[in-house]
Amino acid sequence: MSTDHPGHPTVAAGLETPPADHSALPDGRIRSRLRRVDVYSVWPMAVMVVLIAVTTFQSSHYLTVFNFENILSQVAPLGIVTMGQAILLISAGLDLSVGYNIAFAGIVTGLLLQQNQPLWLAIAAGIAASTGVGFVNGLLAAQGRAHPFIITLGMSIFLFGLDTQLTGGAPVNDMKGLYTAFGGYLPSGPPFFGLPSLTIPLVLVVLFAFAFLRWSPLGRRAYAIGGNEEAAYLSGIPVKRTKIYLYTIMGLLVGITGMVLSGEINEASFNLAQNFELESIACAVIGGTALFGGRGGALRSLQGVALWGIVQNAIVFAGLSSNYQQMALGLIIVIAVMVTRAQK
Amino acid sequence: MTSDAARPPLLAVEALSKHFPGVEALSAVSLTVLPGEVHGLVGQNGAGKSTLVKCIAGVHPPDRGRILFDGRPITTYTPKHAYDLGIAVLHQRAQLLPWLSVAENVLLGQLPSRAGVVIDRHEANRRTRDLLAQFRLDIDPAVPVAHLTTPERQQVAIAKAVYRRAKLLILDEPTAALDAERSERLFTLVGQLVNEGVAILYVTHPLEEIFRLADRLTVLRDGRLMVTCPTREVTQTEVVTLMAGRAPAAAAAPPTAPAVKAEPNGPALLAVEHLRTDVLRDVSLEVRTGEVVGVTGVIGAGGHEVARVIYGLDRPTAGRIRLAGHPYRPRGPRQSIGRHIFLVPEDPDRQGLVLPLSVAANITLVALRAITRHGVLSLPRERAVAQQFRRDLNIAAPSLATPVRTLSGGNRQKVLLAKGLAADAAVLVLEEPTQGVDVSAKVEIHRIVRELAAAGRAVLVISTDVRDLLRFVDRIVCLRSGEVVQTVSARETSYAEIIAMTVGSLGAQAS
Repeated sequence: MSTDHPGHPTVAAGLETPPADHSALPDGRIRSRLRRVDVYSVWPMAVMVVLIAVTTFQSSHYLTVFNFENILSQVAPLGIVTMGQAILLISAGLDLSVGYNIAFAGIVTGLLLQQNQPLWLAIAAGIAASTGVGFVNGLLAAQGRAHPFIITLGMSIFLFGLDTQLTGGAPVNDMKGLYTAFGGYLPSGPPFFGLPSLTIPLVLVVLFAFAFLRWSPLGRRAYAIGGNEEAAYLSGIPVKRTKIYLYTIMGLLVGITGMVLSGEINEASFNLAQNFELESIACAVIGGTALFGGRGGALRSLQGVALWGIVQNAIVFAGLSSNYQQMALGLIIVIAVMVTRAQK
Repeated sequence: MTSDAARPPLLAVEALSKHFPGVEALSAVSLTVLPGEVHGLVGQNGAGKSTLVKCIAGVHPPDRGRILFDGRPITTYTPKHAYDLGIAVLHQRAQLLPWLSVAENVLLGQLPSRAGVVIDRHEANRRTRDLLAQFRLDIDPAVPVAHLTTPERQQVAIAKAVYRRAKLLILDEPTAALDAERSERLFTLVGQLVNEGVAILYVTHPLEEIFRLADRLTVLRDGRLMVTCPTREVTQTEVVTLMAGRAPAAAAAPPTAPAVKAEPNGPALLAVEHLRTDVLRDVSLEVRTGEVVGVTGVIGAGGHEVARVIYGLDRPTAGRIRLAGHPYRPRGPRQSIGRHIFLVPEDPDRQGLVLPLSVAANITLVALRAITRHGVLSLPRERAVAQQFRRDLNIAAPSLATPVRTLSGGNRQKVLLAKGLAADAAVLVLEEPTQGVDVSAKVEIHRIVRELAAAGRAVLVISTDVRDLLRFVDRIVCLRSGEVVQTVSARETSYAEIIAMTVGSLGAQAS
């Protein structure tokens, strides 16, 4: 079952709690050990290993530090927002406004930087803007009068208009200090090994999401609401308040993504993070987070992000056009959902 | 309405048996329904009425025995086949398509069309209006069904069945959602249907309805046929005795045992005074520390609503609640749990448990604060709390990390009780705590509930299973149509007496 699930004190990802069967014969013991490995939660890992192996044979440039740094910087922003999406999906919610909300955060920061405002103020304002949007999403979702699908879709369309209005359609071109922060690489050698600098926010956010889902009361409330909202309510969980918090956290993570992404490419425009809403949902689901709530976790969702990045990259190495990336990713999403379903 | 036994029966059920895991739902039950007859089917909850109806309607194939319709044995047991033969079942909630018009619902599948392409709404509405007028029903055929009231929907569903030339109409507790006036209209409609030659199998709790409408009646008890006879040859008392399985102790007299007097030492832990809602008309009851009090009545009598009001899910229109003598206005589950009241809801899977979560996570869900240290969940503390209750209540789960979805019904109930303990509840309200639970788990739940009360809690058990209540509660509050008929001591009453009060045939007019 789930690896990073509340009440599952397992250490390694992909291992279930050991069954108390010690009477098996040596042969049977191996088999029972194999049975402990939960195929449903490690299959993205298995696919990745195969892909890496195959592509390594095909190209000598594949298995290099440079290439994997490249993959990392490509998926890091998506990885950050996927953590937020996973938290929402676990609570049986979702956020379709993340794409234009990431852009919103980047644009607000970029415009302030253009006016020579201090970097800290520009960042604070950008993150506050997207967090405010998340709060409004939460407020509306908590009312329960419309499905979050509709609420956040509406918000997305609204933000598209707002983003375009703020920038006049043209990108904000110089992200100044933000580019210095996220456009480059960390110092080589320990402890950073010259990784892309946006690795740091990614790692911090993943750790946050992992700890949040495992050890915070709010994270536990998210699982309860997603697993059975009525039971959660009858158990005294403040359902509305919890939803508002969760969407607000999503807004915060969206803001961080906006900073990282606009800093990395030194530009902010309405199409800064196009398709991030669907890609983040896809990554979480590929990793085994249930689309309708109650199950999932940070690490498995991260697996989804990793698979996403490695598939895209492997297709480039195979010399295929980027159209094939889309085809492959589409197939993976469908297979992922079917595998998760088969688990029941 | 005659009971001419010479006519060949429209429906003949012959020695039907149906077995579900752990239950013999029906054993060798036979029943005949004559053309143009109203046949009453009565029995307690769990007597096998629903199973019998479902077999006839093709939902469950019988294990043994057979069913003949119009003289021919039914070979294919599917709802569609039964419907095609002319057997129509009307459930409590009429099954119609809410956003289609009345006419479209009635004529669905046989809608008149122009040139076979465009639906002729005019003609459809005309036909439906004629049909409804036949039964003197004043419903606009063009209105979507969603805009109708519950009784109107029922009437539309009946009209639909008639239009489809149903020969046998099964009415399953048709008056459960109707008030007296609307029930009258239904009775008139039943009379009209009989004149049209439709046979009716009438399943209901209130015996008055059977004695008023039915030509013959059949009593089921514990899945067995007790008797089939013309209604005028039996009395309501006799029928109650047959349903209950023994003679009512105090026969026709009202129960002698008065409501147990409050102990002189202080106020009751939970006291409900003259509660009123849409459903409840006047409910007062109290539960003292150490007591287990049962609330019973037929479905719809108001037990469920009492529980909802106490937990703050519904607002009463009048009356009040006291906790240890202090006035209490429940506002919702969170506040109720804060005041040490916990509700175990009637449907554990839908309302009580988060099935994908572990046993430990489910138990501690009500007490997240108790396992939180400095804003962080303490997983060792969670395990300790869950482990203690798992041991106390003897929850059979492979481990605390097991998802609740894999547990049996009895163990799921125990997880719910453990939640009540984790919430440190002084007042426990349990709805149907032994429903869907096997016999040995039942006994265990009885014992646990007694122990919880003995340890200083007040327990209110809402249940439609009277036999079960009699085994472990101190007093029983009998509800009928939202009113307390009487509160009796469980030691001084009998099953039959309680049935008589809740079904309302014996001395129950007292209130």
